[in-house]
Amino acid sequence: MIVEGVHLFPGPREVVWNLLLDPDVLAKTMPGSAKITRNGPDRYEGTMAMGIGPISAATFDVSIVITDQLVPERYTMQIDGRGGFGFTRGLATISLADEGVSTRMHYQADLQVGGKIAAVGQRLLDSVSKLLLRQGLEAMTRELERRLAGGAA
Amino acid sequence: MKHASYMGQRVLRLEDAKLLTGRALFIDDVELPGMLEVAFLRSDDAHGILRRIDVTAARSRPGVVAVYTAADLGDYWRPGPLLVPPPPVPGLIFNAATQVPLVRDKIRHCGEALAMVVAESRYLAEDALEHVVVEVDPLPAVAGLEAALLPGAPLVHDQFGSNLAAQVRQQKGDYAAVRGSAARVIARRFHYDRGASAAIENRGVVAAWDGRAGELTVWDTTQAPIPIRNGLAAMLGLGESQVRVIAPFIGGGFGPKIMMFYPEEVLVPWAARQLGRPVKWIEDRRENFYATTQERSQIHDAELAVAADGRILGVKDVFLHDTGAYDPYGLTVPINSQCTLLGPYLVPHYDSEFKAVFTNRPIVTPVRGAGRQHGVFVMERLLDLAARELGIDRVEIRRRNYIPADAFPYDHEILFQDFRPLVYDSGNYPAALEKAVELIGYADFVEQEQPRLRAEGRHVGIGVVSYIEGTGIGPYEGARVTVEPSGLVRVATGVGTQGQGHFTTFAQLVAEQLGVDVSQVQVSTGDTRDFNWGTGTFASRGAVVAGSACHAAALKVRAKILALAAGLLGCAKAEVELFDGRASVRGAPDRGLTLGELARKANPLRGAVTPGTEPGLEATAYFGPDRGNAASGVHAIRVEVDPETAEVKISRYVVVHDCGRVINPMVVEAQVQGGVAHGIGNAFYEQLSFDDNGQLMNASFMDYLLPTALDVPTVELAHIETPSPLNPLGVKGVGEAGAIPTGAAFAQAVEDALHGTGVEITEIPLSPSRLHALIAQARGGTS
Repeated sequence: MIVEGVHLFPGPREVVWNLLLDPDVLAKTMPGSAKITRNGPDRYEGTMAMGIGPISAATFDVSIVITDQLVPERYTMQIDGRGGFGFTRGLATISLADEGVSTRMHYQADLQVGGKIAAVGQRLLDSVSKLLLRQGLEAMTRELERRLAGGAA
Repeated sequence: MKHASYMGQRVLRLEDAKLLTGRALFIDDVELPGMLEVAFLRSDDAHGILRRIDVTAARSRPGVVAVYTAADLGDYWRPGPLLVPPPPVPGLIFNAATQVPLVRDKIRHCGEALAMVVAESRYLAEDALEHVVVEVDPLPAVAGLEAALLPGAPLVHDQFGSNLAAQVRQQKGDYAAVRGSAARVIARRFHYDRGASAAIENRGVVAAWDGRAGELTVWDTTQAPIPIRNGLAAMLGLGESQVRVIAPFIGGGFGPKIMMFYPEEVLVPWAARQLGRPVKWIEDRRENFYATTQERSQIHDAELAVAADGRILGVKDVFLHDTGAYDPYGLTVPINSQCTLLGPYLVPHYDSEFKAVFTNRPIVTPVRGAGRQHGVFVMERLLDLAARELGIDRVEIRRRNYIPADAFPYDHEILFQDFRPLVYDSGNYPAALEKAVELIGYADFVEQEQPRLRAEGRHVGIGVVSYIEGTGIGPYEGARVTVEPSGLVRVATGVGTQGQGHFTTFAQLVAEQLGVDVSQVQVSTGDTRDFNWGTGTFASRGAVVAGSACHAAALKVRAKILALAAGLLGCAKAEVELFDGRASVRGAPDRGLTLGELARKANPLRGAVTPGTEPGLEATAYFGPDRGNAASGVHAIRVEVDPETAEVKISRYVVVHDCGRVINPMVVEAQVQGGVAHGIGNAFYEQLSFDDNGQLMNASFMDYLLPTALDVPTVELAHIETPSPLNPLGVKGVGEAGAIPTGAAFAQAVEDALHGTGVEITEIPLSPSRLHALIAQARGGTS
């Protein structure tokens, strides 16, 4: 499954960069009240839950390893999620560019999905992943706006 | 009442009362005191190295009695047997790799079992699965047939150095020489893709160990209870007589239930012995999509060399066959494809070579048709294309190429799946064709109706195709017939039954010889306590092989009855006649004894008998044919296609088939009707979709489409009877006939309906969306 797109964050690149790699922000913006902790400079681990079609609450143990970092321009995430309902794994590349006072994010992910979620959720995978992505980006944007308005930096 | 002959009679099925009132025993009906239930942890990955599996947490879950991994099996862990060795074709390559009970080191397909949880209930067992910790290093998957053979492809089995499972070339004549003299050479690439057998009942195994009796009883949804018994005894170190395998009523077999041994068949009886408690495993539908064998992916590059008058000069076919992650069933499926392609036609020169390929997909073994579909599809499509290029009518080109009715036995000069030469025993193909053409009104349709409807803008088409079904192969089956003192006749045979009507057809064959009412004949199938010699239900051989054994045993009992009755009645044996459950003197019906009375007299409690006398009215007999026989037929179909939605409506479906002498026309018709339903599913609905990582993307009936009653027309059926000389009954098999040429008939009719659009169909299964894409493509748009 290829997921690709751009998103415009209304804020400067350095702030966006820190936001994207903040485990608390990641936990808030990932589906199903995720818990994410940073175990080392480039490694995140945690759990998340999501529903796809007939699978109502699939829980995944997720590990994310950040590689190829070029602050504050781009990085690659090696994603590995496993649970009783299957797995998802693959690489996602994030790159950031200034666009006026905003930051333009380009993301591209090539994900393998396996097990029950692939077997019975296939028809909905595309639409569910798009929905989750949109919700995550919206939540992240709100968090950015909160920070810029004087919240935690 | 003096009964008429039962042969060929529409006797109502004797088993239906039981089935319709819920009194038939199916596997999940088996409930035993203290019974435990099993759930399997199955791999989410299609290919990978199993680094670690930790079942500690799962073992401590409430209600969990045991959790087993490959390491817990010790010496009991071993790959399954090679069921079917390769036939003795010169130059043949075959790399055997059989399935394992639980993965020990390498995962080779999605759904392969990693661990087995035994708990007080299935519910608790399934809950525990989530507490098994598995670490897998994923490997890239072998998903496509062509990619599998490229250098550098990931390897399913490292030891072979490539993914080649087998390579077989069979030839007759000299195709290369004749090709140059052809008026036309039609060459195409054809695809046939995977489907599930989708039996209404999934698999299941229940096992109980009786320590006092030293006896293991196993209920198994197998098509081969006797080989399962023998194999289990050997694996468990028990005597064969210590193991009883019962194949109860089964909701459809279709081939996958003859695969041996499935991991669950090996593990459940073992666990029952380990734990000293009965153990049950019932496959759920999602498991069935991975753990039960499948069939049909092949890619053919085929060409047909024809003379200007449409006569076949020769055929060349090179194809790839997907055998899945293991090849325990040998080469049965691709050899069937190779042989069945020749069909009912005179093909003087034939060059066919296939490569079987390992992939990271579930195992392939025969599914109703067992490779015959592919051969028929390729040949019939090539003939359709040749007819169009040469301007010959589709029916006429077939007529010109049939093996004539007086040419039997006819030798195709290659080897069949039973290792015997592919020699057809009997047949009358032109007669079947003419009958089918007449029944569907071919001439009228093509000359009048189709042009008229086309002028109205409607897209109607017709398809007429032929097929051969090699059936009734050996090695043998047996039966025991016993007349009980009550007058009831018991028949025991080893073949399992999955809905074919064995309880009726076998009873008819025995009633015929013993002169009893068919309702007085009780048949037992698939219980090794009742009968323990035989191989199983496959290759449309039940009626041919087990039926002939029932017939032979009945003849022996008949002879015993005649001898005993003649002595007691004081007449010659030739004067005794059997009818209405009695033996009486011809012309003096009052001078007679019931069969029950004779059975009692054949088992005296005191006195003396002539030395050498066998007690009772009982006999056992066996039958093994010299080789398989050739059933045949013609399917004709009329369709209407909506080119905008790609919806296809089947308006008529005609089958003229020849399965030799018919024992019970209703049973035959039901087999054909069911087969056509299967074939329509295969042609237009059912397709297992795998992604490049070997993940099955439609493992549920939400996404894997089966045809419903609305999609399957009532088949209009006619019988042709050319008796087989290879068995005393003259019968041939019919279990797969309905499913074999359906894709070819469907493709021809849909293509005909879309005449003028440029759509050419070279693949099965189609689907509305695939057909829509083909139409768009032909119109020059993008799909």
